[in-house]
Amino acid sequence: MLMTLEEFESLAESPKLDLLYTQGVYIGKCAKEGCITLLFQLDSFYVELFYLKYRCFIKRIDLFTSPEAIDDYLQPVDIENLAR
Amino acid sequence: MMPSQPPKHLVIYADDDPDDLELVRDSFEKYAQNVELISFEDGRKALQYLLALAQQRTTPCLIILDINLPGLDGKEMLKTIRTIHHFKDTPVVLFTTSSQPTDKAFARNLDAGFMTKPLSYEQMDLITEQFIEHCAEDIRKKIRRQLG
Repeated sequence: MLMTLEEFESLAESPKLDLLYTQGVYIGKCAKEGCITLLFQLDSFYVELFYLKYRCFIKRIDLFTSPEAIDDYLQPVDIENLAR
Repeated sequence: MMPSQPPKHLVIYADDDPDDLELVRDSFEKYAQNVELISFEDGRKALQYLLALAQQRTTPCLIILDINLPGLDGKEMLKTIRTIHHFKDTPVVLFTTSSQPTDKAFARNLDAGFMTKPLSYEQMDLITEQFIEHCAEDIRKKIRRQLG
């Protein structure tokens, strides 16, 4: 059964991370607001982790459903090189 | 006269993410007395190093491979490593951020372990132990005894 954003939001940090660890689909990594961030997709929503210390201490966890928010994680692809 | 030091066990680690490289280096720090971690940011360079080790008849106790690597990705590296007779029984772990069932199956089919990169301090604390767990039993015992 799929988890909703609201159900995930109601969990404490540790079970949130355990769920992401076992079921999350990694999308990317970037730097925002002085933090390293990781983005995952979990079922029908996205989870963004902001690290105070990478992979150790989390500052906050953001949740969203809009795919536009993943733009920060998309790396530009040089189409010209692909065509060569 | 100084007592002679036992040779260190060699761990090869290939990952292009500098933060993850640092993280794993830190996590092996407690074993620094008896484990030498050699890291590479490029799959092809890591493979060249492994081929040189094979020529010297030296075998690492563990090879850790990120999946997304420049030059030669971790899955291609694993396939190549398993074609080299010298490394046919060497423990290899695919170490990656996603826990994709297809990647897990790929690792299993080539007799390799699969570990997801940690997301928290609690998970981080366990990963070195999980890495060591993939080494051969006699080496595992030596590493842990020397630590104790």
